[in-house]
Amino acid sequence: MLISPPPTRRQALAAAGSGFGLLSLAGLLAAEKAPPGRTSAIRPNPPAKHVIFLFMTGGPSHMDLFDPKPALQKFAGQRPKTVDLRTERVTKGILASPFSFRRSGRSGVQVSELLPRLGAVIDDICVIRSMYTFNPTHTPARNLIHSGNIAVTRPTIGAWLNYGLGSENENLPGFVALSHPRSGKLWRSGFLPSKYQGTRFSPDETAPEKMIRYLKNPSQDQASQRQQLDLLQQLNGVHLAQRGTDSFLEGRIQAMETAFRMQFAASDAFDIRKEPGSIREQYGKNTFGNNCLLARRLVERGVRYVQVFSGPGQPWDDHHDIDANLRKRCPDIDRGCATLLADLKQRGLLDETLVVWGGEFGRTPVSEAGTGRDHNPYGYTMWLAGGGIRGGVAHGATDEFGFRAVENRVNIHDLHATLLHQMGIDHEKLTYRFSGRDFRLTDVHGRVLHELIA
Amino acid sequence: MHAAFPRVVATITLMMMVPVVMAADRQPAATKKSASEGVEFFEKKIRPVLVKHCYKCHSGKAKQPKGKLRLDSRDFIRRGGETGPAVVPGKPGTSLLLKAIRYESLEMPPSGKLPEPVIADFQAWIRLGAPDPRDKVATATTRSQPGMSLARGRRWWSFQPVKQQSLPRTRRSKWARHRIDHFVLAELEKHGLAPSPPADRRTLIRRLTLDLLGLPPTTAQIDRFTADKRSGAVRQLVDRLLSSRHYGERWGRHWLDVARWAEDNPTSEATNRPHPDAWRYRDWVIEAVNRDVPYDRFIKLQLAADLMPGFRRDDLRALGYLGTAPTYHKDPRLSKTVIETIASDDWDERVDAVSRGLLGLTVGCARCHEHKFDAVTQEDYYALAGVFASNWKVKRPLVELTEAQERRVIWAQDRIWRLKVAISLKKDPATPSTPEGIASMEAEVAALEQTPYLDAPSMHAVYDAAVYIDGSDPEFTWMDFRIGEPRDLPVFLRGNVATPGKIIPRRFLEVLSPDSPQPFKHGSGRLELAEQISTNAAPLAARVFVNRVWGWHFGRPLVMTTSDFGAQGQQPTHPRLLDDLAAAFIANGWSLKWLHREILLSATYAQSSRHRAAAATIDPVNRWLWRFAPRRVDFETWRDSILAVTGSLDTRPFGPSQSVDEIKNVRRTVYATVSRRQVSPLMRLYDFPDVAQHVPGRDVTTTPLQQLFVFNSEFFIQQARTLAGRIDSTSDDSQNIASLYHRVFARKPSGKELVIGRAFLAARRKTHARTAWADYCQAILAASELIFVD
Repeated sequence: MLISPPPTRRQALAAAGSGFGLLSLAGLLAAEKAPPGRTSAIRPNPPAKHVIFLFMTGGPSHMDLFDPKPALQKFAGQRPKTVDLRTERVTKGILASPFSFRRSGRSGVQVSELLPRLGAVIDDICVIRSMYTFNPTHTPARNLIHSGNIAVTRPTIGAWLNYGLGSENENLPGFVALSHPRSGKLWRSGFLPSKYQGTRFSPDETAPEKMIRYLKNPSQDQASQRQQLDLLQQLNGVHLAQRGTDSFLEGRIQAMETAFRMQFAASDAFDIRKEPGSIREQYGKNTFGNNCLLARRLVERGVRYVQVFSGPGQPWDDHHDIDANLRKRCPDIDRGCATLLADLKQRGLLDETLVVWGGEFGRTPVSEAGTGRDHNPYGYTMWLAGGGIRGGVAHGATDEFGFRAVENRVNIHDLHATLLHQMGIDHEKLTYRFSGRDFRLTDVHGRVLHELIA
Repeated sequence: MHAAFPRVVATITLMMMVPVVMAADRQPAATKKSASEGVEFFEKKIRPVLVKHCYKCHSGKAKQPKGKLRLDSRDFIRRGGETGPAVVPGKPGTSLLLKAIRYESLEMPPSGKLPEPVIADFQAWIRLGAPDPRDKVATATTRSQPGMSLARGRRWWSFQPVKQQSLPRTRRSKWARHRIDHFVLAELEKHGLAPSPPADRRTLIRRLTLDLLGLPPTTAQIDRFTADKRSGAVRQLVDRLLSSRHYGERWGRHWLDVARWAEDNPTSEATNRPHPDAWRYRDWVIEAVNRDVPYDRFIKLQLAADLMPGFRRDDLRALGYLGTAPTYHKDPRLSKTVIETIASDDWDERVDAVSRGLLGLTVGCARCHEHKFDAVTQEDYYALAGVFASNWKVKRPLVELTEAQERRVIWAQDRIWRLKVAISLKKDPATPSTPEGIASMEAEVAALEQTPYLDAPSMHAVYDAAVYIDGSDPEFTWMDFRIGEPRDLPVFLRGNVATPGKIIPRRFLEVLSPDSPQPFKHGSGRLELAEQISTNAAPLAARVFVNRVWGWHFGRPLVMTTSDFGAQGQQPTHPRLLDDLAAAFIANGWSLKWLHREILLSATYAQSSRHRAAAATIDPVNRWLWRFAPRRVDFETWRDSILAVTGSLDTRPFGPSQSVDEIKNVRRTVYATVSRRQVSPLMRLYDFPDVAQHVPGRDVTTTPLQQLFVFNSEFFIQQARTLAGRIDSTSDDSQNIASLYHRVFARKPSGKELVIGRAFLAARRKTHARTAWADYCQAILAASELIFVD
C-alpha cells in the first residue's frame, strides 16, 4: 500500500538537488517510466505499442458473423442428441443462421454477408473461432474478459499496461475508456494505484469539453488563464520555498503546468471534428464510428489503451429478433472497424497497434424464443488485428454446431497473455503485491499464442 | 471417423481376448500372458497419450499437480485427486478420467478434446482392468505443506501478548514527554538522527485542528491559543477538539474506510439493490466515535449488536457493517451451483473485511487452498465463512416490536421481493416462462405490503438464519433462509462449491486460539466471533488498530501493510513502541480518545515539519520520525476547509446523503453519497478509495486531472466568487489582501505575497476589471497552503 509518495519520485527530486526550478518535467516522467520491480517483466522494442479493444457488449453471435455452421441449416428446429447444448436458460431447437457467408480476401477466410467491409480487410485479421470463457452471465463474464477474474476488484487490462509500461504522453491519460457510465467500471485500476485507472469519456459526445470533466474554463481564454496560473504558481513557489523541498508540493506545481497544457492538448486530441469530412464519412458519423476515429487519434498521440464499448447497455444480447437486430446493428460496426484497420494501416500505425474485437461470450446455436440465441461461454469468436499478429488466419474451431470450442481452444487468459506479450510484457512476471500475495492479470493461467504471432 | 473405425474394432477384439477383469498388479500366474498383452496395450495406446497430453499438469513434472491429481504412477492414477479416483479398474463408468476426456465433467485435456478412437482406447484399457506397470514414482515432488505450521504460527510476532515494554535508554531523554517519545528517540539516536524542534504554536493548532476535526481553526482560535502560554494549553486544546461534535465526523470517516462502507453494491440488479438507509450506520459510527465507545465494544456492536446483553433496537444501526456489505447479483434464472458460488463470494467478502480490517490477516487467501504463508488453514476459512453463511441480510425495524412481529416483517420483505422478482422475470420476454399466476402474485404483494412495521424506520442489518440455495424450483433458483438454524459450511475444494469436502463447525481461527478452538454455540456465532477478536485475538486486534490510528496521525503507519500483519506483511519500524502502545490502549479501556491524547501530546507529534537536508539524506521517507511529516490533506478535509473559509459550510450533522458532485451540496464531505457502483468522479479524482472491498489505506496521487477541477470546475469558481463577496472591499489592495489572508489562511500575508497579489490585481484590472478580485480569490483557494498541513 502506497501511503507515502513513491520513492522513484523522491529519488528523482533528491537527484535534482534543489527541488523546484531545477527539476524538469521530463526528469520526473523518466523516473515514472521505469517502475522498480517491473523492469524484469518488460522486453524492449515489442511489436505493439497500443491496444484498441473494440468491445461488443452483450456477446455477439459468432455463428452469424464469423463462424459459419452449415449444420445449423440441416438441423434447424431440431435438438440433436449427439451434443449437449444446455445453457443456463431453457432453450429450444437449433436456430439456423439467416445469413450467408462469403470467402474473402486472398486468405479466403469466411465472413458473414453482414460484414462486407471487414471481409475486404480480412487479410489483416486473425479470427479466433475457438474462444471460451468461464461464466455464462454478463457482468462476471465482462469482468473476466477485462480483468481475468469475475471479482469486481481486479485491475483491468489497460490499468496493468499502464502500471507496467508507464505513459507515453503525460498530457493525456494513458488509458481511455469510451464507455457509458453504467458499463461496470471496466476501466478500474482495482488494487493497483489509482493513477493507472482508465479515464472514462462519454462516447456520445463529440465536443471534448463535454467528454472531459472540467476541461474548459467557462469564461477565461488561454492568456487570461495563464495570467491567473502564474499568480497561483508564484504563491505556490513562495509556499514551497519556505519549506525548502517537498515532493507533493513540487508534484502539484508540475501537475498544474501539465493540466494547463492538457486543456489544449486534449481539446485537440479528443476533437474528431478536426478530421476531414471524408474521413468522418468513412468511419461513419455515428457513436461507434466516431469512437473508432477518436481511438485512432488517441493512439497516434501515445495513449496506450483505448477501450471502445459498443453500447449503451448490452446491444449484442440478442435473445430475440436476431435477424432484424443484426441487420440493423452490423453496418455501423462493419464500417467503423474496417475503416479503423485501413486507416491505421495507411498511417503505418497498424503494425504497432493491436486491435481486439469481441464480446464477453458468444451465443448458442439453439434459440430461446425462436428468434434469438442464449449466452454461450463455451465457444465463440474474437478477432485480433495488427500489433504483430498474423492476418488472414482463422484459428481454432467450434464443434459442428458452433457450441463448444473443440480445436486449438483459446481462453481469455491466453488472450490476455498474448496481448501483454505483444506489448512487451511477460504476463508471468508483471505482478503487484496486494493483500498478501503477488497478483497477475492472468493469475496462474495463460499461454502466449505464439502460433498467431507474425 | 471412418478411418478410425478399424481401430475401435481392434480394441474390442482385444477386450474379448482378456475375459478376466482385474487389476494388473494382482495378476494370477494363469493370466500372465494376457497381462503382458495388457501392459503392451498400455504402453502403446495409453502411456504416450498420458505423457503427451496430461503429464504437464498431472505428474511430478508439475510444480503443483492440478487438482492434486497425478497420473504418472499406478497408485496415483487410482488414488486420483481432489474429486476422487481417476481410474477404477474394470469400471469405465465410474472412472473420472474417462468422463473428463469425454468432456462430460471436467474438460480434459483443456487444449482440445482427444480424438474419439483414443477415448475408446482408454475405455477399453479401463475395462481391461487398467493394467499399469508404473509402480515407481518418476520424481517425488509431493511438496510439503506450504505456509506456516501451527506451532510456528503461534510464535508469530503479531500474535504475541502485548505488554508494557521497558523504556529504552537514550542520550536526550529530557526531550521525551510521553512513553512513545522514548522509543522514537532511541531509534533516532540509533540512526544518527536528532528530533526536530517543536513546531510553533500556530502550526500546532492548525495541525491539531485539521487532524482531529478535519476543519481549519478560526483566526480567533489561533490567537487565543498562541497567546495562552500556560503549560496545560495544548492539553486543553486537545480536550476541546476531542469534545467537538466535528471530531466524530472526521474520525468516523477514517473508520468508514476500514468498514468499506457504501450505500449500494458494485452492480445494481433485482437481487442486490442499493441500501437507501445506509446513512444510519454512518451516523452511528460518528456518534460512537464522539462518545468514545471502547474499541472492543465498538467492534462487538458492529458484528453482533442484536445478540448483546442490554440490546437496544437503535443499536441495530451498528449492524450496517454487515448489512451494507457488498452483495453480488444472484439472478434466479441461474443454476444452483452458480448461485451458490455467488453466495460464497458474499461470504468471502465478509471473511476478508473482518480478517484484514480487524485482524490484519489475509484469511481470504485460504478460500481455495491452505494459506501459502500464514498459519491459516482452509478449515479456518470455512469455519469463519460459516458464521456469515448463518446470516440473512435484511432490513430490521428500529422501533420496538416483538420477535414474532419482527420475523413477520422479515418474512414479508423476502416474500414481496421474491414475488416481485418472479413477476418481472415472468414478464421478461427473454425468459421462457409461464405468464400464469401473475395477477394472483400481484394481489399477494399488495396484501403483504400491509404487514405491520414494514414501513417503520429500519436499517440494513443481518438476522441469524442459515443460508442455503434452493434449486428445487425448475424455473428459478432461490436463496433459502432458515431462521433458528446456523450453517456449518463444508470446505469447498479449490474454492469450488461443486466439490464440497469435510463440514467444518463454525469457530475462530486456530492459530489465535490458546487450545483447539471451540465451536460457536449461540446462533450464527457472530457474538462469539466478536468476543474472540477482543479476547484471544486482542493483542493482534489492538496492534492493528493502534497502527492504523498512528498512520492517520502521522501519515505513515508503524507497519506499512496496515491490513496484513502476517508473514507477507512488513515488520513494524518500532516494534516495542507498537507493543507498548497497544498494551496501554487495552489497559486504558480500548479508548480511542486516550490513544489520541497519548500520541498528540507527545514530543514526537509536536515536532516541526521543517525539512532538514542532513536528516533527509539519512532517512528520506521519515521512517524514524525526525520531523512531523508535512503532507496533503485528504479530499474531505480539503473540501470542508474550502467551504469553511468561504463561509459556505453547512455544519448540520447527520441524515441522508447528498452527492458531492451536486453544486448545491455544501455539507461536510462525510455526508456525501458513497457509491460502489458509481464512485463519485470527483471523490475518485482525489483518491477516495473504491470500497467494493476492504482497502488498507488511501493512495495519495497528484494528477493533472485534479488540477482541472481547481482551474475550471463550477464548484471552485463559485466558491471563489463567494469568497470574494465576503471581503469588505476597500480601495487599498494591500488591505483587501490582508483581509483575505486573515480569512483563508488565518495569518498576515508576507511582503512578497503582498507584492505578488498587488501586481496581479493591477494587471488583471486592465483586462478583467469585473472579475479581477474573484480571479485572485480563486488562486488563493487553489493555493497549496490550503491543501497542505505542516
